[in-house]
Amino acid sequence: MVEQLPEWAALAPALTLAFTGLALLLVDTIRPEARSNTSMAVTSALGALASLGFTVWFVVAGTGHADTGGAIYLFADAIKVDTMALFFTAIFASVTALVVVAAHDYFHDHESPAEFYSLVMFAATGMSLLAVANSLAIVFVALEMASLPSYALVAFLKRDRGSVEAGLKYFLVGAVSSAIFVFGISLVYAATGSLILGDVAEGIANLDGLTGVAGLGIVMMIGGVAFKTASVPFHFWAPEAYEGAPAPVSAFLSSASKAAGFVVAFRVFTEAFPVGASLSAGIDWVLAFGILAVVTMTLGNFAAVVQPNVKRMLAYSSVGHAGYALIGLAALSAGSAGNSSVMGAAMAHLLVYGFMNTGAFLFVAMAERWGVGRTFEDYAGLAKRAPIACTAMAVFMFSLAGLPPFAGFFSKYFLFMGAIDNGFVWLAAIGAINSVISLYYYSRVVKAMFLDDPSTPTALDTLDVKPTALYAAVVFAAVGTVLLLPGFGPVIETAEAAASALF
Amino acid sequence: MVDAFAYVPAIVLLPFFSFLVALGAGKYLPKGGAFGGIAATAGSFLLSLWVAATVLGGRTYNETIYTWAGGDQFELTFGLLIDPLSALMLVIVTLIALLVHVFSLGYMNDEGETGLPRYYAGLGLFTASMLGFVVADNLLMAFMFFELVGLCSYLLIGFHFRQPGPPSAAKKAFLVTRFGDYFFLVGLVAVFATFGTAQFAGPESFPALAEQALNGSFDAWTPLGLGVEQWFTIVGLLVLGGAVGKSAQFPLHTWLPDAMEGPTPVSALIHAATMVAAGVYLVARMFGFYALTPTTLAIIAFVGGFTALFAATMGVVKEELKQVLAYSTISQYGYMMLALGAGSYVAATFHLLTHAFFKALLFLGAGAVIIAMHHNENMWDMGGLKSKMPVTYWTFLAGSLALAGIFPFSGFWSKDEILYEAFIHGLSDPLLLGGWIMGLLAVPVTAFYTFRMVFLTFHGEPRSETARDPHAVRWNVKGPLTVLGSLAVVAGFVNMVPVQKLLGIEGIDFLTQWLDNDFGGIDGVSYSHYNDLLATYAGYEAGEIAGSAETTLIVAAGLSLGLAVLGVLVAWKLYDVPEPTEHTAKLGGAKDVLYNNYYQDEVQVWLAYRTEDVAGGADTFDQGIIDGVVNGISSVSLAVGDRVRRIQTGVVSQYAAMLTLGLVVLILVLGVTGGWFL
Repeated sequence: MVEQLPEWAALAPALTLAFTGLALLLVDTIRPEARSNTSMAVTSALGALASLGFTVWFVVAGTGHADTGGAIYLFADAIKVDTMALFFTAIFASVTALVVVAAHDYFHDHESPAEFYSLVMFAATGMSLLAVANSLAIVFVALEMASLPSYALVAFLKRDRGSVEAGLKYFLVGAVSSAIFVFGISLVYAATGSLILGDVAEGIANLDGLTGVAGLGIVMMIGGVAFKTASVPFHFWAPEAYEGAPAPVSAFLSSASKAAGFVVAFRVFTEAFPVGASLSAGIDWVLAFGILAVVTMTLGNFAAVVQPNVKRMLAYSSVGHAGYALIGLAALSAGSAGNSSVMGAAMAHLLVYGFMNTGAFLFVAMAERWGVGRTFEDYAGLAKRAPIACTAMAVFMFSLAGLPPFAGFFSKYFLFMGAIDNGFVWLAAIGAINSVISLYYYSRVVKAMFLDDPSTPTALDTLDVKPTALYAAVVFAAVGTVLLLPGFGPVIETAEAAASALF
Repeated sequence: MVDAFAYVPAIVLLPFFSFLVALGAGKYLPKGGAFGGIAATAGSFLLSLWVAATVLGGRTYNETIYTWAGGDQFELTFGLLIDPLSALMLVIVTLIALLVHVFSLGYMNDEGETGLPRYYAGLGLFTASMLGFVVADNLLMAFMFFELVGLCSYLLIGFHFRQPGPPSAAKKAFLVTRFGDYFFLVGLVAVFATFGTAQFAGPESFPALAEQALNGSFDAWTPLGLGVEQWFTIVGLLVLGGAVGKSAQFPLHTWLPDAMEGPTPVSALIHAATMVAAGVYLVARMFGFYALTPTTLAIIAFVGGFTALFAATMGVVKEELKQVLAYSTISQYGYMMLALGAGSYVAATFHLLTHAFFKALLFLGAGAVIIAMHHNENMWDMGGLKSKMPVTYWTFLAGSLALAGIFPFSGFWSKDEILYEAFIHGLSDPLLLGGWIMGLLAVPVTAFYTFRMVFLTFHGEPRSETARDPHAVRWNVKGPLTVLGSLAVVAGFVNMVPVQKLLGIEGIDFLTQWLDNDFGGIDGVSYSHYNDLLATYAGYEAGEIAGSAETTLIVAAGLSLGLAVLGVLVAWKLYDVPEPTEHTAKLGGAKDVLYNNYYQDEVQVWLAYRTEDVAGGADTFDQGIIDGVVNGISSVSLAVGDRVRRIQTGVVSQYAAMLTLGLVVLILVLGVTGGWFL
């Protein structure tokens, strides 16, 4: 038996991200002349990869797993490290690594890129803290810790009106949502007398006439979660922020930040408000998520259909995918054995989504770097000039649409099957119809790139720029999307094991 | 010890590599990749011989090598089944493929054809597909390679794609055989649904399970409450659909004469060893299943006998050399089907073997004549080639004697055994007897058209300038002809069952022993096991006339030999003259019917048009209703999407309002259902 690491070491992934961010900030402050875009990008990528390495190691070693002594509680139960936390931290770390690598080329002529890298690292730290939060107080603090750097990141292009406006809107909607969320927490505290998730669950079981207070609090907390996951009706910030923000930031927000919202939702709603106890208390939050899931995926997909701008289309598609992932919460039923499979499938979908959606946004980043324009028409004929990147983009699009043989097909298949097995055929049916609609706008991108001819023969001459790091990030995301196909077995098993620990 | 079975995959993969090489690098190689193909098929041939020798030593192989999809109900696998039948077939296929490759040097390279890499790539893939089909250990794998065979035939028949005929013929071959394959595919799914496995051999194979189902010791799934007998008959007929298409049996034979548009060596490969043989091999491969369903057997026998006679009559009036051979192929495969239907697995395999040799020989001989005649195939322009091309003449004659069934050439032995088996079993079964009568009537017709062809081509006076001064052929044409010519003479001696029965000389029925697992084999896949099944489940029994098996034998053999000689004599009388004339006018009205192949093509075209009418109706439905709905949905989606987009006004205060409104709605819904406000 090897010597056991101290328990706080279970936070190594989050700590690595935090220290990387601090180190970047430190260098930037003390020796501004020593900083260079490249060294900053490399440092942050290494930090993110180290964090990913820790999570993968811990998952494989079984840290926080029921077989090795169960979840690790730290700081008076305020922190809980279990398989789900590690699983989501892996998503955050992967996306972060892809984004910082891509940012190297995207911000090649920016005057102070160092701030970008440290902000991304701090946001990622906040997200990984969200994944381990076991107290509503920590949840709120971590949520803000993830959100505040995000606002700054969206507005990072200070001289770009769109970027600044998007940042402001994001901040304003975020402020409203945070207010609602923290008010919800206070109501829940008022009704149950605790902030620790496990104790809240006990309080929910004996409400003593405080059902209305607790119910109001829970719905308000749903609002906070909906904001973070960009679900309707808290999604309004998303299309504007994603469109206005620098594309790597859009990738980061739509993949990692969304997953962070889901990890909170999964943890808080299963541990603090168990399905059975909530139902018998008269608080049917499963129904609320069902409504949100249907409205979110429908609205996201229908709006995506009519967008002329690829980035905005991706923004709405990201809203639609939030709807799919919400099925993980909407298809639960009290005491059902299928709960862990459907929630595990939602987690696996978020992991796959992390790769394919980040990749898609990074492709947009590359298009912006090339300067080819933003609409579908501007993408016409790109494949002739950049076949590898366009093939990668086609992989992302088909995987997002859920076509076999890509990983997106399997994750969506397991998600819908889980819903059907749990008795929510209607949810799966609506999800399937929405997937069909989504095929339209995803294939439009592929058609434009591969089949259409450029509007003018010289339209694509700007493609002579070769952004190596962006290329690498896009190709790596594509490889990840493809490799998740044979690797899907372990992923879904880990995700289901993580989910089953919650019920 | 090096195990031959470890190299079985190489038998399939070698031609596949030659396909890849010819495709990728053919244009940089000498002879367009021909040598790669020759080396690959030669390697496969040697390995096949080794495998056959190992089987002769008493060992067999039946293993799954790759499971590519697994489920609770069944697994989809690739595997190898090497037993006496497949080992024999491997040798036949690789030998013919090798000779065809060599012959192609003379027919394609020396004639200056273009697109040779494509040609040799096609040949390689064709051979590989057929070999994969032969070694398949389950029906699904067999189906996949069966389809690949069909694809390759399409590619090769349409080789001269710039001319109008070949692409059309290729499409016809593909579509007609696909028509049969649809039934095969449905049958394949039915086999999986019924038995949960599609393995050919072993205790868990579907023929074994079918037998248990009839015993009542296995609970087979059947649809619609059908009895297992009826259901097995249906499944058998469905799979048979594929065999009928590929083996060009009535009514799906129409593609084969058109397939003559392909290069002649390809025709030899298609007719002798690959595509057409696939159908018969499929039935033989799963004979353990067919032996359980007497209705299917009777249908197979009747269709086979009918096809044998029907195709032979059409061969009588054809003017082009390859056309005659095409119809003879259809007719000969009819004999094989008749044999299978009559329960004689050995006779069918035997005829498959001899036919592979003599038909490949005849096609390659025809190819030599076509080279000599500068690609004029009309027999009325030939004549007198006997003295100009002796090697071709003598080998062609040997092949013709075999085809006509003249003693002691190979075709005699196998055809005689088929007719004998059909006769003795037909004495108690009228449908089988019908098949036998048609098969017997086809004998003189076959002999007649065969020798009409020989006399018109080689005898008499030359009837054109080219025939007076034919193009010379080289070793690469004569070599394969000589090999096949020898085999056409001697191949029949591997199974001299009548001689054994009459004279009592033991051990000269090598092929019967071989297929009866006398040298070792897999339990449940043997001639005597099939005979037991036939006797138990199909009620087959051997009848005899005049109370004596010997008399029956002599009468049957004498009858078929006598009729064959009669056919030859008539042809000799009519056509072995210096200046032969057409005698078709004497046929009267029958002439037009025969020239037009019984209007089979017309019937199929008519059917196709009627199908088109139905399809037109479906199209209207599809365009109007289905597409209408789809288009409707998409325009609704776009319209709704447009509305949804407008929600996004860009004004933050409105966002905050809608966000709060949404939250209030959610609170109301949950509050009302949860009764918070009471």
